[in-house]
Amino acid sequence: MGAAPVFRRSRSSKLVDRLMRGVLWAIAILFVVVLILFVGAILKQGWPVLNLSFLTKMPETLDAGGGIKPQIFNSIYLVVLSLGISLPVGLGAGVYMAEYAGKGRALNFLRLCIETLAATPSIVLALFGMIVFVQAMGWSFSIRSGALTLALLNIPVITRVTEVSLLAVPRELKEASYGLGATKLQTILKVALPYAATGILTGLVLTAGRAFGESAILVFTAGTNASAQFPDFRLTVPGETLSVHLWYVTSDGTLPDAREIAAGTAAVMILVLLSLNLLVRLVDRAIRRRTR
Amino acid sequence: MPIGSTLAHPAGIQPGGSRKADPMPDVLETSLTAVPANGGGGSAESRPTVPQAAESPAFRHSRTHRLADRWAHLAFLSCSLLVVGLIGGILFFLASRGLAAFWPVAGNMGRALHLSEVFLSADWAPSSDRFGILPFIAGSLGVTGLALLIAAPAGILTGVFIAKMAPAWMRNLMRQVMDLLVGIPSVVYGIFGLTVVLPLVSHTWLADAPASGFAVSAVILAVMIVPTIVSLSTDAFESLPSSLDEGAQALGSSRWQAIWHVLIPAARPRLLTAAVLGLGRAIGEAMAVQMVIGNNPQWIALMRESTDRAPFLRALFTPAATLTTELVQELPNTAAGSTWNNVLFAMGLLLYLLTMVLILATRRLGRGKEA
Repeated sequence: MGAAPVFRRSRSSKLVDRLMRGVLWAIAILFVVVLILFVGAILKQGWPVLNLSFLTKMPETLDAGGGIKPQIFNSIYLVVLSLGISLPVGLGAGVYMAEYAGKGRALNFLRLCIETLAATPSIVLALFGMIVFVQAMGWSFSIRSGALTLALLNIPVITRVTEVSLLAVPRELKEASYGLGATKLQTILKVALPYAATGILTGLVLTAGRAFGESAILVFTAGTNASAQFPDFRLTVPGETLSVHLWYVTSDGTLPDAREIAAGTAAVMILVLLSLNLLVRLVDRAIRRRTR
Repeated sequence: MPIGSTLAHPAGIQPGGSRKADPMPDVLETSLTAVPANGGGGSAESRPTVPQAAESPAFRHSRTHRLADRWAHLAFLSCSLLVVGLIGGILFFLASRGLAAFWPVAGNMGRALHLSEVFLSADWAPSSDRFGILPFIAGSLGVTGLALLIAAPAGILTGVFIAKMAPAWMRNLMRQVMDLLVGIPSVVYGIFGLTVVLPLVSHTWLADAPASGFAVSAVILAVMIVPTIVSLSTDAFESLPSSLDEGAQALGSSRWQAIWHVLIPAARPRLLTAAVLGLGRAIGEAMAVQMVIGNNPQWIALMRESTDRAPFLRALFTPAATLTTELVQELPNTAAGSTWNNVLFAMGLLLYLLTMVLILATRRLGRGKEA
């Protein structure tokens, strides 16, 4: 910095100070209001539609009054599958970055790759999944194409969370383990990972929420159709999720009650995400109370 | 639910290992005598893991264990290499389809285009064999720039508010608000824009119906990227040495003067990084924008021709299109291998290359700070 600024405490500077404090508070409160309005509007629109039959009926293709049962199933199924694929890879890469990859150029490059993958737009991942899984592998629009491509979205997040949580493990803990004669693997599996588990799990829940809401990837890999069977665990059938359904009914326009269906679906998604968020918060609080 | 049960063990104590077992201190001491260097380090923090030792005084260090150790190293390494491979793989496959638009490739149905007729032409009429993608590039830049214009100042000021000004309860509230905002799916943002924001501005002096276009898209995008900017700039301000703030106040600065003249300049590299990452998120967002922007590839012509309103209103509320929205809109309708399809993949490749440039730019910014 250049010369030290000279601060004058004039009347006007006091006025500016008070004004800007007000502005900062106003901006912050504005975001709170935006969130409340947002969630309120989505829930208010969806409320008239939300009932048991909406949640448990099959969707209609041309008539009004369809439900979202298979979409709920597909959403959960795809999140679980994609996490199942990305968790081992993300954990492994995170462990490598925190415990093995020294501090040199290799780690730097790895981190660059993780950051790039994390910043890659989901539509680009969708294109990749479309080329590789949908077309080259010949899997067409299916649950397996969707789950694999969705995993690409999760991997960088899980890797990052694992790395950060492992780096937060106190050094004495690991040294004590080595001191007892443990190998590196034993130390990681039995000392470091259990210590970091809470952080990783929190990150996992947030990743699940993100995968649950993802749509661009799934439109191009899992397709916009849901199986007529229920529950359909086959990996080869198209699997339209809630978020894709929400997008598809609004942009397609063949359903007479597309607006209501979309509103109801949005409300369901918001409710699921709010409860996931609440879960993370409650667990977090419980842990903090215990460790205090 | 596994989450609850595992999280119930604070600080990740192994299941089965009791936290306050009284034989522990003895075990700790006896085992630590072998490693005197560690003597002082055996703080309360390290105790949770020691029950392991209560069962087997020392980890067994057999040949199989050493072998497992080596294989595990390889496994972890291959996970990381997979990530590196993915970066290259995405580039390779996108390029293999995107660049096919410009070179005569086997399996190509159309003719090979010239680079300039794609990247330097604003004429998008795929059915008449004209593939200028300038409208989409301009649309992406326009809507992203507008969103950043709203989100960057608001996000940075909120960051400094959270880090340096807000009382604890407000800080917590803001964190929760940002966590929720970042967790809302883009299609839900889209439906909110479509059913709440668009009707608000349609049929008013702002716009004729429907009011789709840059303005509404940018506002929605701004709300979507603000959490990213807020959390990164909060970190930036929190990591500043407190002596900066104290020094400024000792020199007689007001709260705002300290923020404006000292804290923001000091945090500038990281604030720029925050803005760049926000930009990256905005430029890649597809679904929310696609739902509200109106999807009109001929928006430049429309904007020029219509004369009914003030120019800036026309610019803000004319239905438009961006790189991402055009991909969502047209990719399902085109045959693989056709020129049209290849050009769409070239747009995807462009987005991917842009991501890489932005990430490298944040690296540069970070390095600038250290130097």
